[in-house]
Amino acid sequence: MQTAALGEMRSARRRRFVERLDVMEVLYRVYVAAIFGAIALAVIGGWVEEAPATARAIGDMRDHGPAVLGLAVALAVLMGLRSGARGGPLAIEAAEVQYVLLAPIDRGVALRPAALRQLRIAVLAGTVLGAVVGNFVFRRLPGSPVEWIACLALFGALLPLCVLSAALLASGRRLEPIVATTIGAGLLAWTLADLLFGSTTSPATLVGEVATLPLRGGGAVALAGLGLAIALVLAWSGLRAVGHVALEAARRRAALTAELRFSASVQDLRTVVLLRRQLASERPRRRPWIRLRTAVSPRHPVWRRGWQSFLRWPLARLTRVAAIGVAAGAVTAAAWNGISLLFVLPGALLMVAALDLVEPLAQEVDHPTRRELLPVPVASLIQRHLVPSFAAMASVLLIGTLTALAFGASATAAGVGAVMLFPTALVLACCAAFSATNDPYAYVLTPQLGYAQSAAPIVIAVAAAGIPALVAREAMRHGGSAISAAAGTEVVMLAVGIAMAWWIGKRLAGEVAVAS
Amino acid sequence: MTNKVQPQTDSNLILAARGLGRRYDGFMALGSFNLELRAGELVALVGPNGAGKTTFLTLAAGLLEPSSGTIAIAGELAGTIPARRALSYLPDTPVFYEDLSLGEHLAYVAALHGVADEGARADQLLERLGLGEWEDSLPSEFSHGMRQKASIALALVRPFSALLADEPFDGLDPPSRDVLFELLAEARQGGAAVVVSTHRPDVIGAASRCVGIRDGRLAYDGPPEAEAIGEFFER
Repeated sequence: MQTAALGEMRSARRRRFVERLDVMEVLYRVYVAAIFGAIALAVIGGWVEEAPATARAIGDMRDHGPAVLGLAVALAVLMGLRSGARGGPLAIEAAEVQYVLLAPIDRGVALRPAALRQLRIAVLAGTVLGAVVGNFVFRRLPGSPVEWIACLALFGALLPLCVLSAALLASGRRLEPIVATTIGAGLLAWTLADLLFGSTTSPATLVGEVATLPLRGGGAVALAGLGLAIALVLAWSGLRAVGHVALEAARRRAALTAELRFSASVQDLRTVVLLRRQLASERPRRRPWIRLRTAVSPRHPVWRRGWQSFLRWPLARLTRVAAIGVAAGAVTAAAWNGISLLFVLPGALLMVAALDLVEPLAQEVDHPTRRELLPVPVASLIQRHLVPSFAAMASVLLIGTLTALAFGASATAAGVGAVMLFPTALVLACCAAFSATNDPYAYVLTPQLGYAQSAAPIVIAVAAAGIPALVAREAMRHGGSAISAAAGTEVVMLAVGIAMAWWIGKRLAGEVAVAS
Repeated sequence: MTNKVQPQTDSNLILAARGLGRRYDGFMALGSFNLELRAGELVALVGPNGAGKTTFLTLAAGLLEPSSGTIAIAGELAGTIPARRALSYLPDTPVFYEDLSLGEHLAYVAALHGVADEGARADQLLERLGLGEWEDSLPSEFSHGMRQKASIALALVRPFSALLADEPFDGLDPPSRDVLFELLAEARQGGAAVVVSTHRPDVIGAASRCVGIRDGRLAYDGPPEAEAIGEFFER
């Protein structure tokens, strides 16, 4: 009876949700999404070079493709396991916890439909994305279009399936975060060993085999089949374990997720960052990594305060920011070597790191009364806060440049990286500061302006990290000096950075929290 | 947490906490807590803010898991299906589905607890709590006090052997407070053990027993005598 009541009420809620939908509004959204999707595909299609890949590139992909893709799978599974150890991936309504999970019914029966729905949506999205990628890949690589589209669609489906299933398993098995991280890191190391030794032993590499099947064929079919079976077993185990989720984590996650959705809906990126940290239980360390010596009268208190903040970062945040630096470097190296479209990614990735790196400034902005009671002009205070963030951002870019070198970038490319280091770091820090100081409710009556305000720092960050490298590569291809071309672009970026720093200070100085 | 509880010999024993402890990141919210509640008791759970009252109630409800010790409801570990069947928990902050009316909430909760026809009980509760005309309304239309009363109705519409209420009198007007006193008394007379976390002297005075918690430890367990309770809070 109880299970029937659960099913009936959920059906009734779904029906009511559908009844309340404005069909014309939904159709309009689908129409707009289809138009923008078609435009995006056309633009990407124009950017992607359709010349067949070289024999060497094909050989590299055949030999190392599964392990490289396996590394992506392993990294995503690591993130899934960590999310699961904190109660993810389900976001259960508070009322569902109170009335359904405290009722005398099997929690597995109660939660499995929600887990299945989440898996279904993610698998569908992954399949579509994989098919789109397959549509571009078959033009450069040997193999039939149908094979590439089918295999990459399947890989696109398996990737989110593995991630969500790992999270469900970790949450159902109540894995401690340290255990989840150790398991994920172990999988990552195993897959890395596959890459280094050219073997196919890790479960993640086996999943990667699915994507490269049209290149490898033959015996790889069995390996890909094994990868598929592993993913399905993982999904089955995750769904079986879902009923054992800890209610404490579910309640905490329910409250935070509701706030997170609202903040995301009003493009309040600063609040999204803070809530995401709470979801991840990322708290500053009680003891800093290094204790700065106490000065009786420090000459640069804002600089010092910034580093005190960074030195209390938890290991997870330090690792994430460093990993972003590594990923940005690797992607830039791939873009430099031919896939121009990838120049879009480093800026977007580095913006995520920058949002963490402007924390001292953001803390000042979060407490306007305290800020205005200081005997320092607000604009000057905010601009001084940018300095430690800029220095830390330059360190992340240095990690990226060194990574690009490790990934086979030429000395010229490394020179371009060196030229880009400081101006790009300044622009990225300013973009994050701009985002953190945005008032999400400033343009409630003109939402288009609000969207533009939210998108502007991201677009500028993408341009700051991508355009100088793209211009330098094109100059080199046409016989010019890559470093000179990058330097010319960076002069513009420097001007943009300085202008943004000035504007951020001016904007905040105009906001008054304390009546004079 | 062990999966076994001591065999229950006392049929009147509804709730038994033995060596119950709960830590949050090194902070001890509840430690070595022992308590037994029997059918027909109305217990006022008192203590300063942050003493551990809500932690104890949520442990009993199965929303939290103990760091040490056990807590059993009707002889079964808290959080298990039989324990969930026996215990009704009224949280300090009411929670609702925003897309279900009050009447639909009551029908749903009753059905989840195996009550086939909750109509008469639900109607009676709504009338007594002054919510009769709000049965078809959504929670977003309710005031703070009405949300509290709706939450009380949801806790009482289903059968239970133990009722744990976390500050249920907050936000209620005097007539509704009187109704709640009556409802708690009826639950007690019906054989349930009722625990009410409160700071209100009138609630403490109406209880059959008072349990005081301070710094996560049982600091008082006895009759709800004003002098003794006063001493407990002054210490």
